[in-house]
Parts: sequence; structure tokens; C-alpha cells
Amino acid sequence: MWMLGGLLIAFILLPLVRLAGTSSVTSLTHAAETAAIRDAILLSLQDAAITAGLATLVGVPLAYVLAFRRFRGRSLLQAVVDLPLAVPHTVAGIALLFVFGRTGWIGAPASHLGISFYGSQWGIVAAMLFVSAPFAVNSARVALESIDANLDRAARSLGASPSFAFRHVTLPLAGRGVMTGAVLVYARSISEFGAVVIIAFYPVTAPVEVYNLFLQSGLAQSAAAAVLLLLVSLATFLVLRTLASGWLFAGADRERLR
Amino acid sequence: MSASGSDLSVRGLATRSGSFQLEGIDLDVGSDEVLVVLGPSGAGKTMLLHTIAGFRQATAGNVRIKGREVTGLAPELRRIGFVFQDAALFPHLTARDNVCFGLRAHRLSSPTKVDELMDRFGVSALADRTPRSLSGGERQRVALARALAFGPEVLLLDEPLSALDQPTREELRSVLQDLLSGLGIPAVHVTHDRDEAFILADKLAVIESGKLRQVGAADRVAAQPADAVVAKMLGWLELGNGHVIDGKVVIGGLAFDAQAHSGDVLVFYRPEDIRLSRDRTEQGLLFRARVQRIVRAVPLSHVALGPLPPITALVLNREFERLTLRPDAEIEVQIPQGSVVVVPDEARTNRPTALETWRPPRLL
Repeated sequence: MWMLGGLLIAFILLPLVRLAGTSSVTSLTHAAETAAIRDAILLSLQDAAITAGLATLVGVPLAYVLAFRRFRGRSLLQAVVDLPLAVPHTVAGIALLFVFGRTGWIGAPASHLGISFYGSQWGIVAAMLFVSAPFAVNSARVALESIDANLDRAARSLGASPSFAFRHVTLPLAGRGVMTGAVLVYARSISEFGAVVIIAFYPVTAPVEVYNLFLQSGLAQSAAAAVLLLLVSLATFLVLRTLASGWLFAGADRERLR
Repeated sequence: MSASGSDLSVRGLATRSGSFQLEGIDLDVGSDEVLVVLGPSGAGKTMLLHTIAGFRQATAGNVRIKGREVTGLAPELRRIGFVFQDAALFPHLTARDNVCFGLRAHRLSSPTKVDELMDRFGVSALADRTPRSLSGGERQRVALARALAFGPEVLLLDEPLSALDQPTREELRSVLQDLLSGLGIPAVHVTHDRDEAFILADKLAVIESGKLRQVGAADRVAAQPADAVVAKMLGWLELGNGHVIDGKVVIGGLAFDAQAHSGDVLVFYRPEDIRLSRDRTEQGLLFRARVQRIVRAVPLSHVALGPLPPITALVLNREFERLTLRPDAEIEVQIPQGSVVVVPDEARTNRPTALETWRPPRLL
């Protein structure tokens, strides 16, 4: 067991370590000083953060419905939520283009309002949201489902309205799961390439920029940008992950079963 | 049962969950009265409390608190305090914040009342602890304080002692006893523990398979169970089944007064009332039996007697020593008059047992 596990860990770490080894401090600073690379990374960070916020905002209510309501078609709804996980991301990008493109169902009315998804930040966020929304919903749903139903009953019997009980009991207890979901969405979004490159080639996000550099200048040139992106996304991911799982939600520790 | 003194009244209450149906529940509980609902697991006890509290919709019937109809109300509008089996304290709040929760939800603040309650249940020193760091008994004390802090008009307790170990349970049982005796609001306590029921109950209701089998003053229900289910729940043991002839039912050669029943009946006895003696001096229903099996336990040992009828006597250990009971020894057995109860045999079980062997009745 240890050996197979170790193989997998090595398989994950080896390319990353090898990649990090290709770059020097000077090549990294040079990459960071290149406007195109810097802008692309900042854009990725920004859009991934927007997506994480958006996914949480719309994902938690859906997670609540899936966790607590019993209705016909509930498992079908859950399957729909999981669907983006099974759709190849380039396929997702093309499908999104049909809806959010200039002549698409949503794209056309939106363009009358002056909002364009094709080749804009909105398109990037749409693509990121599509591929990462399941993480927000599922993470929050699992957290909500693990809350003892008697806690909500207790709150209600003590005079709490459903919304008071949600705000003061359910949400604080599910907070860690919701945050974990947001972090996963963020991580998934910042690494998204396939869907983004189709719906919004411009403005260029970091993974797209790395791909461009790879095509134009080859492996060596793209490596510096790749390492920079790796460092930035790993750093933000680790910080957020620590916040989400650690002391921030210490009160949400699940009671151990007897 | 004074209808006037009933501050919690339940009429024809019904609800269902899948194929399980709870129906036709009628209960009346006055202020300062404790109704204990006794039933085996899966009888629908928790379901009943949940329906009264409003966690579950009633499909029929109604619930009134001091004449106020609450059947259709959301739980937060009923003013019913609820104590859960597992305490259900909010894990992200301190003990004190748990107790304050009801007041906060009602936009009230009454620090003195909270302190008073925490003091009363002996948890003042634990105010700043989180539920996770409390013992089972401490949690349940906090849960009691929490359920009472906002001034409920009814208190419902869903097996609050059954998750506790024996010493803690006995300790908390006396805390409950003190609390309930001077509570001033109707209390409904649900349990499957007979001792707990007898200790806490003013009124006793026995429920099984979603149906109310019997309800009444606790001592009356205990002495006069209406059917076999109630008798078994209350610790009566079945002696056997028989048919009433001339006001008597004969089982295993012993004739019992049919107690105004007729047709097929079951006879139950209280095992702790069975008297054993070496010589036939005592009065009552007497017969001679052989000791079949002895199970030593504390405080009472079980002595199985036979061959007919198979009776188990619960014997105090000091008595046990005096009688020098041994397997296969012959002994005089006496069943006192009030220790036998006859109930209708609803199932008409007709079990083919050795009891059907007819012997000439030995009337006393």
C-alpha cells in the first residue's frame, strides 16, 4: 500500500519539481516583469476569485435544497449538478459558446445591454463557473447533510425562525464545507484552460498565456511563465485551504460519535 | 382526569412516515402534571413528540396549549421546550450561549434567568465550555436549562436519559424528578425504561406500533394493565392463556379469578411478588413446584419454576440464602391475590403449550 501510494505521490511531485528546477530567480523576475505574463496571471487570480464567490453564492442555496428537501427528481437534479465533471472542457467551451456567443440565447440579449461574453472577462467567468460549480454545490451539500437534524429542530423549538436558524446554526456549522467548496472552485478555475480558450481567447488568462508562449517560443521560454503561475496558484491555494480548514472555523468541529 | 386542568390537550392526533402510522392519540396533561409515554423502540414515541412540537405535520387531529390551537403552527410559534436524547446542543456555541439561544431568538435578554437556570442545573461553572468538552450528563443539564430559559408553556423530553451510563442516568433522573415536580407547566416525558416511567410519571401512557394502548394515572395503569402489550411493558410476566369458564380461568392446574373477563384470556403475574417457602403456611394461591433454573443477579435473582405452570420468581438475595434454593429442589410457591392480572387474549394465540394439559383445578 505504501509503495503504490508513494508511486502516485512521486508521479504528482516529479514533474512539478522538475519544472521548478528549470527556472532561475532571474528568469522568474524577468517573467514577472513581462507585462503580458503579469496581466494574465492577475486576470486569472481575479476571475477565479470572482468565480469562487459567484459559485458559492448560487451554489449554497442549491446545496441546501439538495441536502434537506425531499422531492421527485432530486437525484436527477444531483446528476445535473455533477454533469460538468463528465463533460470534456473543450466541449463545455463550445456548448457555452452556443448560449453565450454573440448570437446565443443569452449572448444575444446580453449584447444589446452592452455585455459581451465572447472575448471578455464575463466569458472567462462563465467558462470557469461551468466547470467548477459542482465543487461548490457538492462541498456545501455534504457539509449541510452532516449537520444533525435535531440541531435545526432545537433551534426552531427555541423560537428561531427558519432564517434565524439557518444564519445562527446551519450556516456556521456548514461554514467550513462552504469555504472548502469555494477554495476548490478557485483552484479549479485558476487552472481552467479548455473551456476558457474557446469562449474567451482574449483577454488572455495565465494558462492560455503559457500555452501561447509554448507555441510561439517553445518549452524553455514557456517554463518561466509556467513556474510563476504554478507558484502563484499554489501559494494562494495553500493560504485559502489553511483558512478554510483550520482555526477560522474551529467552532465547527464535528462532535465525535460516542 | 379533570378536563378543566388540562393545559396540553391532544385529540385524535395522527401522522405518518412511510408505511408507519401514528394515529388516534388522545392525551391530556395538566400544569404540574408529568405524563410519561412508555413504549418499545419503534413504537412512535419520538414521532408523537415531534408532531406535538411541530417538527412533523399532523395528518389529523389537533394540539392545544391552554386552549390555544397550535396544530398548524410552525414550531417556533408554539412555545414548547424540547429536550433531545442526544442533548442536541449547538456545537459552535458555549454552554451559556446555548442556554441564551432561545432568548436571543425571541429578541429577549434575561441574564439573571440564564444564570439562575444554569445554577439550578449545576452547570454555572461550565458556562464557557463548548458542548464537545462536556460529559453526557453535563450536556443534558445544559439542554434542560436551554429548553426552559425562554419560558415555554410545555416541556417535551425525548428519552433524555437513555444515552447516559447507569450512574449518570440515576443522578440525572433525580434532577429531572425535582425539576418536574415543581415545573408548573405540562411535561411529556418519553422513555422505554420502566423504572424511569414509574419514578417520573403522574400519568402513564403506553404506546405501541403507533397506537395508544392505555393512558391513566400511573399507579392505576401499573396495577391494572388493559392488555397484554401494556402488561409486558410494565413488567408483568405472562403465565399463560386460557378460556374463562364459570368466572375462572385455569392454567396449568391453577384456577384464577377471571376478573370479569370472558372468552379467551391471558394471565399475567408480577415475578417480584411470587413468594417461595419451605413449608406451606401462607395464604393465597399455593402450589408446589420444582426449581428449574437459577440466574443470580443483583439485587434480585431469577428463579425459574416448573414444570407447570412455568413461573419466574424474582427473589431478594438474602431471601435466596435463607431458602437455600438449588436446582431441582421442591418448593412451595404462593401467588398473592393482587399480583395476578387477567387481560383479553386479542390475538387468540392458541399456542400449543403444555399448559393445555388439563388437570383438575385445585381451588383454594
